[in-house]
Amino acid sequence: MSAVIATRGLVKRYGSLRAVDGIDLDVRAGDVYGFLGANGSGKTTTVRMLLGLVLPTSGGIEVLGARMPRAGRRVLPRVGALIEGPAHYGHLSGRENLALLDASGPGGSWRTRQRRIAEVLEQVGLGGVGRRPVKAYSLGMRQRLGLAGALLRRPELLVLDEPTNGLDPQGISEIRELLLELNRTGTTVFLSSHLLAEVEQLCTRVGVLDRGQLVLQEEMARLTAPTGATVVQTPTPDRVRSALDGRVTSVDGERVIVRGDDPAEVNRLLVGAGISVTGLALQRPTLEEVVLAAAGTSTDRVESSR
Amino acid sequence: MAALVAVLASLPAVIGALPASDARTSAAQLRAAVLASAAVPFSGFAESAGGLDLPVTDQLTSVADLFSDRTTMRVWWRGPQDNRVDVVTAGGETGTHRDATGTWTWEYERGTATRGLPTPLALPEPPDLLPSALGQRLLSEATDAELSRLGARRIVGRDALGLRLTPQEAASSVRQVDLWVDGDTGLPLQVQLFGKGADRPALDTRFLDLDLSEPAAETIAFTPPSGARVRVAQEADVVLEAGRRIRPVPLPAELAGLPRRQLGGVPPGIGLFGRGVTLLAVAPLPARLAGGLRDALTQSPDAVADSAGVRVAAGPVVLMLVDPPGRGPYVLTGTVTLDALAEAAAQLPELGGTR
Amino acid sequence: MIAVELRKLFRRPRTWATIAVLNALPILVAVLLVLTDLAPRPGQGPVFLSAVFVNPALFALAALAIVLPLFLPIAVAVVAGDAVAGEAQAGTLRYLLARPAGRTRLLVAKLVAVLVFVLITVLIVAAVGYLVGTTLITPRPGLGNGGTSVSGTSLTQQELVERALLAIGYVAISMLGVAAFGLFFSTLTDSPLGATMGALAVLVASSLLFTLDAASPIAPYLPTRYWLSFVDFFRDPILWRDITRGMALQGVYVGVLLGAAWANFTTKDITS
Repeated sequence: MSAVIATRGLVKRYGSLRAVDGIDLDVRAGDVYGFLGANGSGKTTTVRMLLGLVLPTSGGIEVLGARMPRAGRRVLPRVGALIEGPAHYGHLSGRENLALLDASGPGGSWRTRQRRIAEVLEQVGLGGVGRRPVKAYSLGMRQRLGLAGALLRRPELLVLDEPTNGLDPQGISEIRELLLELNRTGTTVFLSSHLLAEVEQLCTRVGVLDRGQLVLQEEMARLTAPTGATVVQTPTPDRVRSALDGRVTSVDGERVIVRGDDPAEVNRLLVGAGISVTGLALQRPTLEEVVLAAAGTSTDRVESSR
Repeated sequence: MAALVAVLASLPAVIGALPASDARTSAAQLRAAVLASAAVPFSGFAESAGGLDLPVTDQLTSVADLFSDRTTMRVWWRGPQDNRVDVVTAGGETGTHRDATGTWTWEYERGTATRGLPTPLALPEPPDLLPSALGQRLLSEATDAELSRLGARRIVGRDALGLRLTPQEAASSVRQVDLWVDGDTGLPLQVQLFGKGADRPALDTRFLDLDLSEPAAETIAFTPPSGARVRVAQEADVVLEAGRRIRPVPLPAELAGLPRRQLGGVPPGIGLFGRGVTLLAVAPLPARLAGGLRDALTQSPDAVADSAGVRVAAGPVVLMLVDPPGRGPYVLTGTVTLDALAEAAAQLPELGGTR
Repeated sequence: MIAVELRKLFRRPRTWATIAVLNALPILVAVLLVLTDLAPRPGQGPVFLSAVFVNPALFALAALAIVLPLFLPIAVAVVAGDAVAGEAQAGTLRYLLARPAGRTRLLVAKLVAVLVFVLITVLIVAAVGYLVGTTLITPRPGLGNGGTSVSGTSLTQQELVERALLAIGYVAISMLGVAAFGLFFSTLTDSPLGATMGALAVLVASSLLFTLDAASPIAPYLPTRYWLSFVDFFRDPILWRDITRGMALQGVYVGVLLGAAWANFTTKDITS
């Protein structure tokens, strides 16, 4: 698989602050890449560097196989982006906003413009929005319009920063389906978010940024792979401990962790011992656990100096 | 970027400093060339800057402004009796068109065209401040002993030869006059007048643009436009009238060591003394004019008031109002020292008489 | 790109509001003139206002002279200051640049849009002035239908029109320096108001220094130095000296400031 985004030792320094501190991103074609990190961890700066908005202090960036920001004029028309929330000209309609944006750069033919605009508006659920100015839009509608702008040229790569911001639960689910559908037809999605659940539901790969450093970059399937233990739910944890002598690693209320990656075998033993089992599953770590283990405390916290 | 700005900003200075050729012309030859240049046709743009702040009354502000302000002039010159000088201001202009029969002065600000006829005594006007006209006038009575050569410099892209006039009269308030004369035509391109004890010129007039082709006659001709007020000049008449009407005083043949000049057509009550740069004028004033002038003079912090009268110096130009009881007031003005002015006032037979 | 910027600028209600406000003052002056029948004397008040009773069409120029010292530069500074900083503040700048609209292209397009705004504004002020003058003001009889030049010569209607067009062009060029300052400051800050204020501060400083004798060595380089020289088109013959200098000076300001704006904008981190 070819790399869609690859950075090497990417550093951005603001004065003495290293906002991004030597990260090596590796996003491959076909990925839905979840870029996780707390507020202030350097996510936005990284996204901006990928798009040529912020110039790196050192390190290299390749997007779609070409050096950024030098090849921006060639690469960026093939990239759709939603950067830190949508922004539009409030006095113009959504349609006009899209037309202006499309006309502002290369790679969008004016012949197909009206058709493409109609298509993406339909796609993001704004097909019937009419001519009202964007300043009369709700936050969710603006978010959809921003997404429409990103999709306007059928990009090979979507770089999305918090795309479900401001959407209601139905809207979030709609957008999620849309992104999955796009991904199935070959679009690579780079999703920057601090919402773990969103990333967990959508992404095939995850990168975790903490204080400017990429502390984790892995396939989602591998992160949440079974640990080799089985979780048993039972009203009588003490009896489980005595029945499965030595295999119980921890007990937390009615939740008992048992060594062994075959729940059927554990179940058989417990049922044989006459212990009632209310739940039984292979143990998988949640993304939250993985991320919390990899990253430190929130960067919003200001610790008192010791 | 900063370097570019610096280069652009210093360009004028660099060009101005380019070496000018110093032709081997003697001071006397140069003077002759200047005096012969009155007929040289040209057109151009000149600027005069005066540092003289004369405290005078409303009737004479136009004269005072000439010496205190920066005056920019456009000039078309076909000859001494065929020329046009426009004093250009930001929002208007005053043009003086001269022909053999007199002048038309167009004042845009007032919408007025004023016909001026040749008078034996004329107050200074903007055209007199052109470097060419002023240089010719100042050199006309200079002696060779007063002249010396300076180096050369470039002015309006032409080689200008320096000529210094140092007045010999002890009474003169002028230390020197530096003229920069075009080597080819003899036209003075810049004239700087220095008062005694001053480092900066009291008057500095120079061409900023000069074109030596002959300007078209229709550029100089003037017909009052429809809707304009047309009147006849009076300013000089005020003084002439006073000299005529007020009982003339027999003026001595010499004041403060300066000999009296013979002026045709001027009433005997008005006297002009001196020569070249060093001049002293004595004239009676109508009482209403004198009152305003006295007020203006006494308000000036530099004025000296004593029993002889009120006097003030603005650079090399001095002004004194003598107002003996029972007589008409007199004004003395010119380019002499304050001491010489007081001496002259004392020498007026029936006026000063404080001795 | 330029077409896009023009569409953005002229589809914006604020642009037209600015132009409308700009025209309000000359119209007010015209109405007052008609009601009171008190024309200022030549040389007093705005240039050419005195002449409108002779030739009402000259109110086009009087209108320009009325807005030139303050209103017009403010309008230009507002639009130029908003050019880049306004997009930054609205957040649309990051989308434009990620589109990608090349930074240099964007800057040039912004400059052209501001220049078109200046030209259109000046033309509208002159046109509205002409209409207002010819409809509201009745010429006093017996004064001919041409005009009198500042030098006291008579100008034919045709000469007057030619010179008026030249003067309008010159006024537009005079505004280039303000536009360049506005655009330069606009690349420095994300606040359009700050950029506008910066450009206006330069103008106020320039106007102040111009009146100061001690500043005379730098006077020829002040951006407002040759603004009033559009009067020189109505001298006879035309006094080109200050006009050419004014144009060259504006050219230098545009060149230097645009260079600085370009150097700053193309190497700037877009964090808005």
